[in-house]
Amino acid sequence: MNLSVGMINKIVDYIAFHALTQPQKVALICHGEKLTYMELYDEIKSYALRFSQQGIVKGQTYLFKFHADRSCIVTYFALHQIGAIAVPLEKSLPNEKIGELESRISKHGPFIINDVADILFTTGTTGVSKGVIISHDTILADAENLADAQGFTSETVFLICGPLNHIGSLSKMYPTFMMGGTVIIIDGIKNLDNFYEALDYPSYKLATFLVPSSIRMLLLFSKDRLVEYKDKIDFIETGAAAISHSDMLALCKILPNTRIYNTYASTETGIISTYNFNDGNCVPGCLGRPMKNSGISITEKGNIACSGRTLMSGYVDMDLDKSVIKDNVLVTSDLGYLDEEGMLHLTGREDDVINVGGLKVEPSEVEDVVMAFPGIKDCICIAVPHSITDNTLKLLVVFEKGVVLDKKRMARFIATKLESYKVPLLYEQVDSIKRTFNGKLDRKAFRTQKREL
Amino acid sequence: MKERIKFLLEDALPLVDFDTDFLFNELDSLGIASILMILSEEYKINLDGKDVTPRNFKSLDSLVSMVQNKLDNNK
Repeated sequence: MNLSVGMINKIVDYIAFHALTQPQKVALICHGEKLTYMELYDEIKSYALRFSQQGIVKGQTYLFKFHADRSCIVTYFALHQIGAIAVPLEKSLPNEKIGELESRISKHGPFIINDVADILFTTGTTGVSKGVIISHDTILADAENLADAQGFTSETVFLICGPLNHIGSLSKMYPTFMMGGTVIIIDGIKNLDNFYEALDYPSYKLATFLVPSSIRMLLLFSKDRLVEYKDKIDFIETGAAAISHSDMLALCKILPNTRIYNTYASTETGIISTYNFNDGNCVPGCLGRPMKNSGISITEKGNIACSGRTLMSGYVDMDLDKSVIKDNVLVTSDLGYLDEEGMLHLTGREDDVINVGGLKVEPSEVEDVVMAFPGIKDCICIAVPHSITDNTLKLLVVFEKGVVLDKKRMARFIATKLESYKVPLLYEQVDSIKRTFNGKLDRKAFRTQKREL
Repeated sequence: MKERIKFLLEDALPLVDFDTDFLFNELDSLGIASILMILSEEYKINLDGKDVTPRNFKSLDSLVSMVQNKLDNNK
């Protein structure tokens, strides 16, 4: 097989390239099992052949729950190899929801946009998850952005410990495989021994992505152990939610020689900007300058608008697409400003989306599910402070006369319809829920009261 | 103590089945962190990442034993 870098159009082409040029280099470590580039690519080809034999063709979608295992990673790249469209889903997504998503994708009709790689379902401001269409060129642009701005090299050993259907973790495979580095996958950080064993890998170019709540957990429960890796960790990226300044300072103190990036990214915009806050200044809320394939502007209303190759191709629900991308500029619901040095700062959001430890939840999606619970008259899902995730979900419910809240039953009912991170942790039965003069839930009133709850 | 711990943890983590012997598998990192914080606060004991082992988090009974051991060591 002849393959040069100039012929590369997808990340899987880079894996093929490295399988030729450095076949014995370790590409992937999953639950302790090592795969070289040659072994990884052979496995991808084998899966690709099997998919083809099953009748999966170019442009066809394939939905699967993206568990932190080797089989799912190989599946993802094998689908790309044959030109099929990967639809990786959250592992806790109830099975009945998968059929719903399949039906929405099939209503979209054939994907006429060339080069579609993925459909990633993300939080929707309409209360319905949105299917974001991502092209291979977008993925390559994200990979180039990260490699250029954060210094991925062939020596990088990137530890992925977050959900792989989420852009935060998924996108880290791209620059690592592009540069010929090594990806280590572990299933979350609940078992800290697994996390630190992964960091024991013989390399001084370790890197990882940690959402702010994971950083807080490490600082709270294993600060002393993290210090031991100060000379091994080359860089850490955080993002998906705001990190507190105290956690930023604490992390810089523990890891004085590590580059620690705060990144602005979303499924729709791709990876846009990044800031190494271990620069001696540790500017709170700063997200840095746009990366090489991206542009940032601020609208008159203060919304962050993004442009460049990393933008999505559209939504599976095309009507929504028209409202957010105009003239190749995507206007987000995030509010922010650019300082005199061109650095982006985030100040808040204009919609009702609640960020729970880096995972975004549209409260109306939860409320729509709860309204189907027997005996419910009204409800509202609100954000309340949480010591680790910053925010957590609280559900206020009004029942018909005589019905009493059974918190556990309610939580389990919601979990049959939604991913587990969308299930509120806190519940309260109330007599009524405040609404505006035209009958809509008065979310602003609950926002101002939330500190008192 | 067992009933009190069960009450506190079920209240904080309504989706988790605390009657199982596979508790560690049921929990995510946030669940683990919540348990450490709740038990530390309730019993004024020091729990950290080193206490997070599959053995300590196997079941409600093993969590009770972990707390009891910490309390005994504090005496």
